[in-house]
Amino acid sequence: MNMKTINVKVSRFDPKVESAPRYQTYKVPFEPRMTVMDVLDYIYENIDPTIAYHSHTSCHRRVCTRCNVTVNDKPGLSCHTEVTGDVTIDPLPRFKIIRDLVVEGL
Amino acid sequence: MSEVKSTDVLVIGSGGAGLRAAIESYDQGASTRLISNGALGKSGATMIAGADVTLDGAGAAKIGLSGNEEDSREKFFHDIVIQGYYLNNQKLVEAYVRDAPLRTKELIDWGVKYVWDGKRALLTQGIELNRVLVDQVRKRSITITDDVYMTDILTQENTVIGAVGVDINHGEIKIFRAKSVVIATGGWQRAYSFTSAPGGMTGAMHVAALRAGADLVNMEMVTFCPNVILWPPALRGDIFPYILIEMFGDLLEKHGRPFLRDEYDPLIYRIATTTEWNKLIFSMTATRVVLRGDGSPRGGTYYSIKTVPTNIVDEAEKLYPGWKWLRTDFSNLMDWLKAGNAVEVAPAAHYMEGGILVDERAETTLKGLYAAGECSGGLFGANRVASAITQILVQGAIAGRSASDFSMTSKMREPNKKQLDEIQSRLLSPFARKTGIHAADLKKRVRKIADDHLWVLRNGNGLREAISKLESILSNELPKLSIQTAARTYNKEWIDAIEIENTAQVLLASARSALFRTESRGVHNRSDYPLTNNNSWLREVVTRNVRGKLTLTTRPITITKLKPPKGKIGFEEGILRAVKELGE
Repeated sequence: MNMKTINVKVSRFDPKVESAPRYQTYKVPFEPRMTVMDVLDYIYENIDPTIAYHSHTSCHRRVCTRCNVTVNDKPGLSCHTEVTGDVTIDPLPRFKIIRDLVVEGL
Repeated sequence: MSEVKSTDVLVIGSGGAGLRAAIESYDQGASTRLISNGALGKSGATMIAGADVTLDGAGAAKIGLSGNEEDSREKFFHDIVIQGYYLNNQKLVEAYVRDAPLRTKELIDWGVKYVWDGKRALLTQGIELNRVLVDQVRKRSITITDDVYMTDILTQENTVIGAVGVDINHGEIKIFRAKSVVIATGGWQRAYSFTSAPGGMTGAMHVAALRAGADLVNMEMVTFCPNVILWPPALRGDIFPYILIEMFGDLLEKHGRPFLRDEYDPLIYRIATTTEWNKLIFSMTATRVVLRGDGSPRGGTYYSIKTVPTNIVDEAEKLYPGWKWLRTDFSNLMDWLKAGNAVEVAPAAHYMEGGILVDERAETTLKGLYAAGECSGGLFGANRVASAITQILVQGAIAGRSASDFSMTSKMREPNKKQLDEIQSRLLSPFARKTGIHAADLKKRVRKIADDHLWVLRNGNGLREAISKLESILSNELPKLSIQTAARTYNKEWIDAIEIENTAQVLLASARSALFRTESRGVHNRSDYPLTNNNSWLREVVTRNVRGKLTLTTRPITITKLKPPKGKIGFEEGILRAVKELGE
């Protein structure tokens, strides 16, 4: 396998059973121009179906803004933010976390 | 399961149709709840629409726009029905052309920002429409419920008494009692893997309506938007090249040869580039190129502007300053295209002409249940050429009024415990299995069936294969679906599990209808039955649930004014004849 992989650090937190967020790191095959949403979809579909990120009504056009997360410490829409290498994904700050990257009131 | 406060009317879906229905229902005096599967104004197809409101020129003149008084409601009606291949329910078209000026005037009064094209289109944007409609909703005491994925319609004695859904964020099943229900949930484009529609549009309420006893109609009719971006991923599903090709550019085969002018008569090509017929004609042509192996690596074709002089491209930028359209910045894409590159594009599932069967009062075949907008079927027959934005406004208002009227004469009723238990056990069953089929895998396989067999060109063998695969998934695999995620809060596997059942059911209805219609008409094209057969098929295909079994039947088209022609006719000939009839 000489396919390039990237390390994806995702903030995981279930406030119902955990006291604080923790990071979980996944190895994801890199594809040119892939977005944060593609990375999360890859993890959900192939590695860990338990991660939570908003996608069920996402518009993919920068309109609904519900897929907003923090990418390498900067806010960004996961559908339009492209990934170039290792990446850390957190929920948006200052929002109440429902689970992992999904927050209340966005 | 927990029950929330009941309302007279429950509106499901918060795109334009649902917003307009809720406004009308409330204004008619009914207490109203509006449910969104996402957030208000941030879910559904309206938010990403182009978007025009269409109305006839004389009607436009009456409301103070510089409309052409030579134009008329009757002419507009004719255009819609002729280009809809006469399959349109003419009573629905009459309501559409009658109310279009009224709904347009109202939008202007509510402060919508627009540009009038001087003919038949008020140009605005879906974002702006949502802003205006959400603003009107918030001015009223309409109860808003966000992030609830509705799954079932509750009935008693064949009358609607409410609905059930899953609160996605909190993972609870909720009961909403109401005296009448409006479904306004859009199409089921997300049953396909490549679509221009946003998430959530999976036909959940089509299936819920069918399960509860309402009929569906024309489920074989699916419009594809021809030049939708396949790559890069950030722009995947965007229709911008479709907008551009109305001005300039061409579609190319894998070795760079332009192909659009090969397939049909030159007049057809001209019609394709200048009318709403472009969706159908270009999708057919591009699909043939891909099927004969001349497509791009990702299964599409290429859009190029290489032959267009740079100053002409730059001139067009005035229409889209900075090459921004809606909320997306296309400047990188345009630079890349101007440098002589081509972008991969393909037809994408775009609009559903078929849906829940309604009459001109938006009433379904189930008492107390109404449907408005794209989730309803019949208005546009076999090919939509007028605005779906006008559709949502006109039908939304009608449905809101009808549902409110109905609620005034009926009683609130207690849900049947047995029905609730059945729903709960169906929704929760995948949690009981710790091992089994993964939702993500099954979802992909269901979508592949749609991509392979319910695409632009269909044939009997493919449709039979789709039906047998879907039936097998529904009876053998869905019961083995397992959810690994223990938490109920924003559980993606649970959402997928719900969506898989709905998309499989709605695709089954579509595939069965497509197999049943042994002809080609409008957007439904069968290579084994290439002719439009007006002798046998001026009929709508109706899908019905008879004691748990999907049953198909037909009914004659609904004619009020315009008599369809007789005889059989080919695709190209049919378009040329329609053009003659339209007189331009």
